[in-house]
Amino acid sequence: MNASAAPLIEVRGVSKRYPGVLALDNASLTVSPGEIVALTGENGSGKSTLSKIIGGAEQPDGGVVLVDGVETVIANPATALKLGIVMISQELTLAPQLTVAENVFMGRLPRKGRVIDWATIRRRAREELAALDVHVDVNAKVGDLSVELQQEVEIARAVSSKARLLILDEATSSLSEHATERLLELIREQAKRGVAVLMISHRMPELYSTAGRAAVLRDGKMVGTVPLPSTPESQLVRMMVGRELNDYYGSRDCVPGDVVLQVRDLASADGALAPTSFEVRSGEIVGIAGLVGSGKAQLGMALGGAIPATGEVKVNGAAVTLGDPRRALGAGIGLVPDDRKRAALLPTRSVAHNMTLTWLPKLSKFGVVPTRTEKRRVREAIAEYGVKTSSPAKLITQLSGGNQQKAILGRIFALGCPVYVLSEPTRGVDVGSKSQIYALLQKLTESGAAVVIISSELPELIGLADRVLVCFQGAVRGEVTGDQLQEEVLNAIAVSGHVHEEPS
Amino acid sequence: MSQDTQIRPPAEVEAPPSPSFLTNVWRSSGKTTGVLAGLIILVVYLSITQPIFMTWGNITNIVASNSVVLVLAVGATFVIISGGLDLSTASAAAVTGMSYGMLLQHGMSAWVAVAGALAVGLLLGIVNGVLISYVKISFLVVTLGTLSVFESAALVMSQGKTINVFSIEGFQPIYNLVNGKVAGIPYLLIFDVVLVVVAALVLRYTTFGRGVYALGSNREAARLNGINVARTTLSVFLIAGLAAAVASLIQVGRLTGASPGIDSTLLLTVVAAVLIGGTAYTGGDGGVGGTVLGVLFLGVIQNGLTLSDVSTFWRGTVNGVVLIVAVALGVARDRGWLRFNRGKTPASS
Repeated sequence: MNASAAPLIEVRGVSKRYPGVLALDNASLTVSPGEIVALTGENGSGKSTLSKIIGGAEQPDGGVVLVDGVETVIANPATALKLGIVMISQELTLAPQLTVAENVFMGRLPRKGRVIDWATIRRRAREELAALDVHVDVNAKVGDLSVELQQEVEIARAVSSKARLLILDEATSSLSEHATERLLELIREQAKRGVAVLMISHRMPELYSTAGRAAVLRDGKMVGTVPLPSTPESQLVRMMVGRELNDYYGSRDCVPGDVVLQVRDLASADGALAPTSFEVRSGEIVGIAGLVGSGKAQLGMALGGAIPATGEVKVNGAAVTLGDPRRALGAGIGLVPDDRKRAALLPTRSVAHNMTLTWLPKLSKFGVVPTRTEKRRVREAIAEYGVKTSSPAKLITQLSGGNQQKAILGRIFALGCPVYVLSEPTRGVDVGSKSQIYALLQKLTESGAAVVIISSELPELIGLADRVLVCFQGAVRGEVTGDQLQEEVLNAIAVSGHVHEEPS
Repeated sequence: MSQDTQIRPPAEVEAPPSPSFLTNVWRSSGKTTGVLAGLIILVVYLSITQPIFMTWGNITNIVASNSVVLVLAVGATFVIISGGLDLSTASAAAVTGMSYGMLLQHGMSAWVAVAGALAVGLLLGIVNGVLISYVKISFLVVTLGTLSVFESAALVMSQGKTINVFSIEGFQPIYNLVNGKVAGIPYLLIFDVVLVVVAALVLRYTTFGRGVYALGSNREAARLNGINVARTTLSVFLIAGLAAAVASLIQVGRLTGASPGIDSTLLLTVVAAVLIGGTAYTGGDGGVGGTVLGVLFLGVIQNGLTLSDVSTFWRGTVNGVVLIVAVALGVARDRGWLRFNRGKTPASS
């Protein structure tokens, strides 16, 4: 790492206050050319605020920002772009109706005289993408591409715009393991060429494989900067949460009991999931792994009745009507969908009303909600599931991602279903909340529930599940248990559909 | 679970400060503070400049002339909170009013005619509701279509003629209820209050009401959490149809005749009142209380213009401008452009 070079960007003593919270408190940070710095901390620690200040989307209340050693006011994102500061976030900023080439050169289309030079655009877009080893038709509409390819086009645009500082804000959180690895490779390549990188991610392995330094924020204060990968993960986590987190995934003390969930030839109507059969016992956690598009997401949705499906699903021997979430819930299958924003949150409602939504049929008498009981239940659930909120009446969108997720999990867990299907239960959630969620899952199984967890994070599946089913091209291709539960084995099946050594 | 696993100490979250009743009122009035302040300023201004304004006679006049809008707006509040919009509401009221007039004309008894009008209102609501929730056509397309169909149906029913019901005996009970008073208080005012309170209670304290909010907030989340989306959608359009029938009874009662013609500003006034009252046009937020303020605000402005001898031709201009300004202020507040958004902190990650 080129430590002697002058920092490309330096943030000195920056503070930012929002009504009611001090989001950043005298925080300082430097990033030098060619350096990859991980910006870490729990949700709400001020990571996004700091990256927004550097990206020109927010103005600091105190402190200064220096670019190339010169005090600079980054008044808006356009100014940041002119300085070579490019932000890549989880939410893509591509225009889905335009072609790949148009997107790569958006806002700076090369011209020949007064006319846009389409031939050059296509040729240069092809060159840029080839240089990054991205194989995609430059004439394809971006909206028709997979999320992974879209993310790579976004990176190509950033790189070709002569970025000097790349800010990655949770850029990998919607990508599969494989696509993430490719993206990180691109980032490392850029750093070698002298680009400075500031990355925010909740996935520890990513930070360890990519960053040279980790800056840790806690409650808006910069707690310290440690070298990576030499700093042990436990120490980094301790800095982030300010306390010890032992036994991250937790453990449970129970022997799987009777078969609770029986799935026979379950297939999604859209064909993304081919007929699949498996069983889950009481007290058992079964993981579902696979790449994006492998059918694992459809498996969860089909079990929860969220999408039309065929086949047979039985809970405690009783058949469940497929394709109807209300019937599935009634039969005792509690589903937590993977996309919190799209399919779980009621953004205009309070924490309390978000949580009681699912309890209403059980809670109400003759269609009337007993508000006193309701308030008490909400208070109990907020405490039991560790939702951090100043009041149950607060809008749910004002909570951090981790606390939103705990509220969403709480409303389903409080139902006491015999079967739970959880899709990406810790996506976009900080380490502290993650460990709380894992503990809740362990408790759930101890009380006899059968749990199916669908996740893109293999360490999570290995840490939690008794066995893992791996999906490949729309079907379950392998079941991995015991000593075989390793990332290499799961990855091999996920990528090729089989392992060379027999897994069981 | 292992003893080593540390959970955030529950003490931190166990006892969130329970906000007092007044705090709750203040907080929930956030979206209606603007219209409430505007209404108070308007009332103070008119009380000073127009001596007639604060008389009981003028106040009962405001109530009487705005009850049709209020009833329709209460129905529309349900639809808009659920994430929809009923463009056909004024046309549906014309059909139910004509049905009522024709039933009276054909010698039906008072209550048979009223029941008939309500039944027709329900039927029109079912047409909208079934097409939207079960056939799954967009509410904009369906109600734009039925707006036109109902409008022409009302004309066809009487060949475009107004039915004069004043001298029909069966009309008397409705006439008396709509225009009568007890101890100086118009029956209509009592009815309005009861209607608003019942509607507010239904939205707040029933599983149906919660479902309406959930639907407008996030349809997919509502569906996945066991809300019967189709039935709830059908129900809000049934309520809107019923509201159209009740509104038309009030209208016929006041005019002593059933007219197939539709006041072209009625639909806009109804929707504007709901939106000015702080109900989100995207659904999921708002309430009947705000709608009452919205109706009063527009009604008082109208009254003020009349008292000040301003041409009624200005009515549409005023309503439209007020609507856009009110919604724009709401948008500005939500985006934090106005600094008085108390305690609103953006969620940072």
